Amino acid sequence: MATQLKPTDRRVLYLYGVTRSQPAKSVRLMGVDLESPVEAIECEAVICWLSRVSADEFEDSLTKNMENLDWLASASVAHQRAVGGIAQHADILPARFGTVFRDENSLRAHIRHHLRGMERNFLRVKDAEEWGIKIFAIAPVAASGPKARTGREYLQAKAAQLPRKKPAGIPEPELTEFQSAIQGIAEASAPPGRISGGQRGLLFQTSLLVKRNNLSRLESVLRKFSRKWASSRRIEKSGPWPPYSFVSQDPDSL
Amino acid sequence: MSAPGTMVFADTNEGEHLALLDILDHVLNQGVILRGNLVISLAGVDLVYVGLDVILTSIETAMRYIHASSGVPEKTP
Repeated sequence: MATQLKPTDRRVLYLYGVTRSQPAKSVRLMGVDLESPVEAIECEAVICWLSRVSADEFEDSLTKNMENLDWLASASVAHQRAVGGIAQHADILPARFGTVFRDENSLRAHIRHHLRGMERNFLRVKDAEEWGIKIFAIAPVAASGPKARTGREYLQAKAAQLPRKKPAGIPEPELTEFQSAIQGIAEASAPPGRISGGQRGLLFQTSLLVKRNNLSRLESVLRKFSRKWASSRRIEKSGPWPPYSFVSQDPDSL
Repeated sequence: MSAPGTMVFADTNEGEHLALLDILDHVLNQGVILRGNLVISLAGVDLVYVGLDVILTSIETAMRYIHASSGVPEKTP
């Protein structure tokens, strides 16, 4: 076993997040590289969820890989499945995508340094989940023209049905009414991610931190507005997500 | 398994496309930023957003990976 590892075989610890304690039953999850399993190790006063991944892939080439959509799609789905899987068993403070440590000592030193800030974050996300809310404009249904005879005609007809310009936003009184209704239920709201901002017809989006026992209240508010806006707007709710958007942004308080 | 579902309060036929965008949105949005001499955190996340157009036009390719890893979020009507 004295074989020297080649540089490309070097492993680093990819951190998914931190929980207060081990879940009652063992949790089996696949890691972000779809090869190594997720492990839960005791780390100072908390549990760190990690997997051992290739240093080449997740440390040296991470930035380059992030720009490769195929890699990013696969890795972000795997990351979500791992963090989401942990979140089903315990309240988790998710680590940012792509967080790796060279070894357990550096991980422990970091955790020790941030324990107090973690405590605040644990209180904030207790029994709560993140939900994404989006409101889309419903495009008026175009009158159906003559039946397309060729693929080209079909595509032209399809293109003619797309909205030509960005839809007008939601008028102020209505938007305020909607926002205050959902904010009265959520613990907090956060600016949405920017990736889906370019979706066609998107009028409004936000991320909410909602206690599990308030979820049905949120759903009934969304149903109410959905009925009210049935002819003009569509509401989509996605989740539950681990509280990615609601852990501290301050690196010094974690 | 652990992929969140999308509850749509009206019909949509773009469910699967939305799912990948949503995963990227939430996974890459924030999360704890770790910093330190032995910590490599993700400084280059903004590069991803610059590629928004690429992402929107490359969804088909990306979906193959979603299916390959069977992480297709279910939709609850």
